[in-house]
Amino acid sequence: MRGGDLVIARTADSQSMNATTVFDNESIWIFEQIYQTLYTVTSDGKSVRPLLATGYKVSPDNKTYTFTLRPGVEFSNGKPMTSADVKFSIDQNRKAAQGWGYIDTAIKSVEAPTPSTVVIHLKYPWAPLLADLSLFANGIVPNNYGGETASEFYKHPIGTGPFKWGYWHKGSALKLLRNTHYWEKGKPYLNSVTWTNVGNDNTRELQLKGGQAQIDEFPAWSTVSSLKSTAGVNMHLFNSTRTDYLAFNELRKPFQDVHVRRAISLAINRSALVKAVLFGNGEPANSFMPPQVPFYQKSTPGLQYDLAAAKAEMAKSSVPHGFTTTILIAAGTSDARTIATILQSELKPLGIKLNIKQEDPNTAFSDEQNLKYDMTLTYWTMDIADPDELVTFSVDPKSGAKSFFTAYDNPQVVKDAHLAERTLSTSKRQELYNYMQDHAASDAFMAFLYYSPYAYATTSNVHGFFVTPLGNYHVEDVWLSK
Amino acid sequence: MGRMTFVIQRLLMLVPVAVGVTIVVFFMIHLIPGDPARTILGIHATPQRIAILHKQWGLDRPLVSQYWLFMDRLLHGNLGQSLYYGTSAGAVIFERIPPTLWLIVYSAVLAVIISVPLATIAATRKDAVRDHVVRAVPLIGLGMPPFWVGILLVYALAIKVRAFPVSGYGTGFLGHVHAMFLPALTVAIALAPVVIRALRASMLNVLGAEYITTARSKGVPPSRLFLRHVLRNAVIPAVTVLGINIGFLIGGTVIIENIFAIPGIGQLMINSIFQRDFPVVQGVTLVFGVLVVLVNLLADLSYAALDPRVRFDR
Repeated sequence: MRGGDLVIARTADSQSMNATTVFDNESIWIFEQIYQTLYTVTSDGKSVRPLLATGYKVSPDNKTYTFTLRPGVEFSNGKPMTSADVKFSIDQNRKAAQGWGYIDTAIKSVEAPTPSTVVIHLKYPWAPLLADLSLFANGIVPNNYGGETASEFYKHPIGTGPFKWGYWHKGSALKLLRNTHYWEKGKPYLNSVTWTNVGNDNTRELQLKGGQAQIDEFPAWSTVSSLKSTAGVNMHLFNSTRTDYLAFNELRKPFQDVHVRRAISLAINRSALVKAVLFGNGEPANSFMPPQVPFYQKSTPGLQYDLAAAKAEMAKSSVPHGFTTTILIAAGTSDARTIATILQSELKPLGIKLNIKQEDPNTAFSDEQNLKYDMTLTYWTMDIADPDELVTFSVDPKSGAKSFFTAYDNPQVVKDAHLAERTLSTSKRQELYNYMQDHAASDAFMAFLYYSPYAYATTSNVHGFFVTPLGNYHVEDVWLSK
Repeated sequence: MGRMTFVIQRLLMLVPVAVGVTIVVFFMIHLIPGDPARTILGIHATPQRIAILHKQWGLDRPLVSQYWLFMDRLLHGNLGQSLYYGTSAGAVIFERIPPTLWLIVYSAVLAVIISVPLATIAATRKDAVRDHVVRAVPLIGLGMPPFWVGILLVYALAIKVRAFPVSGYGTGFLGHVHAMFLPALTVAIALAPVVIRALRASMLNVLGAEYITTARSKGVPPSRLFLRHVLRNAVIPAVTVLGINIGFLIGGTVIIENIFAIPGIGQLMINSIFQRDFPVVQGVTLVFGVLVVLVNLLADLSYAALDPRVRFDR
């Protein structure tokens, strides 16, 4: 059926519609319906497909890409999209030092020689270019923000996407309306989509059952099983790139000792964690890269539960009789509390006395990023369909993230991480990423805990709702039956 | 002292209250650990990005200088920019006040609607079965946690019967009346027992007064006697109790707002504290302080409206 208003009850409010500077998913998932990119991620999350571009040619030195733009694309205000808009948009993102500018660091310049052609010059060959251009931060907005200032523009943004700006009552609801100028014929099917802020898990579920919302974003894991058998409700578990980790601070003793890190990693029963935290809706992790990422290696020997091997590692360590340490967790997160409590008992046989320190989430986050912790819980979801961002973030101590805030430093892994960025051969890249995954697992710089899906519950009259492993969804494909 | 002088004096008291609130809140929120830049940047926080945001927000200046800047803006009617949303903190806050005011006023009205008849039933037959029932049963409401009462009401009246929406604020006056009924009833159920007890006690006092006996002996009809003489005199202590409880409610509606997804100021306060959105936390606290003073002032003024003998002398 064509028409209707889709209501998505979500866990939190958006922050801003400025795609170049915000990092929160609740903003990203909204403006992805408004701005579009030259390429976009495929539904398996492992590749990209053309969107506002129809194709590209690359120069023999692999440093110049010439993109042809899709004809007939208009912004929601009816003005045609041209190469000048593309150049302006990518240049804006390159300037966003506090935002996503780093993703475009390989770009030397952008040119718009004809209205339908965009040329991107690179500083050096760059394998993740198409994946980077598929990032929402490189979404196309009108040249010079249509004559407005950036802050004015982002109060009622304009794009080429299937939906246009409706309203945003901060803290309450955000509504987008059908873009009647949308280039994909017949889409979107819906008249509008409204995201309401419903922080309480139980209330979101009740809204779904009461017909007040059609999509419940992230129902509590404890309710997934009952929602599967609820009449009129479809429970979806989409493959995701979310990976949860136990991080070790290598600036603090005894976590410089690889045997200690390996011992702890080996002592964790990941299946028990999946059962206790995710109510069985997940898989133990074997690599710091999730299975939905290109170049993930299924055979990576990530350490799994083996108490005898854990004790043997402890015996080889600098603290063979154990030690006392602390795990820092954010207060109010029951999953973290459950994991920490399980770890407390699982590390006891190694002689490790684990204290749990709870701080309010903002403080815990600050302490984690300033490496003021012994052990902590952290996680990752992919932004692009290429491992480069995750790998640099995780293993390069000189990156802003200091190896996922662990201070892990394996020079060969760091070297390979940067070599893989500039290697265009797929097979050679696979070799490099295999090496990195093997060594990161062996070094146990973090204990890779589990992979979990994206949980969404919808009413049974919702059709075509699909979430990619990167978390994006295309509301233009969604329709409501009676 | 005239009524106007009294009101002006009480309104002037807002100034020291507001200044005191700003000082305490400003320094408390800035002294606790945590950083709004890390909320905004999330896992992508780097020292460089944090520094850019701190400079943009003026958080790289000394604390005292930040406080003077805040006060300077406040005197010009400007609460500053929300660090989280990047828009006017005043606009963010004032958009969230109406839902909370709706909840409080609606709850108070429902509490009165529940309390007056029940207190009357109890007081007019002291120590009878109905008196005991009225005194005991509402206490169950007081003992039950509001989040649980709220969920029960939603299951019964929104999921099973579908007479009300599960949650939300609604649109338009009638939409608000409809959507806010269950949350307001939840609060009223917790509020009513206290008001019932206060009202019943003062009704019993009034019923024993000589002027009631005189009025009865003069043949005043029971309904007129009750409305004009008993209720009007008995209601003053209940108004005090209600006023104090509403004062508490202003800051205490956050759980109800959370359960019923009401975009009110309590939710905003909690989220802003977690996000370290300093200007919004400061603004909301200021609004809380002013509202509590105003509610107490209204309660005082209502005494005079209810009882002409009340004067505004000190």
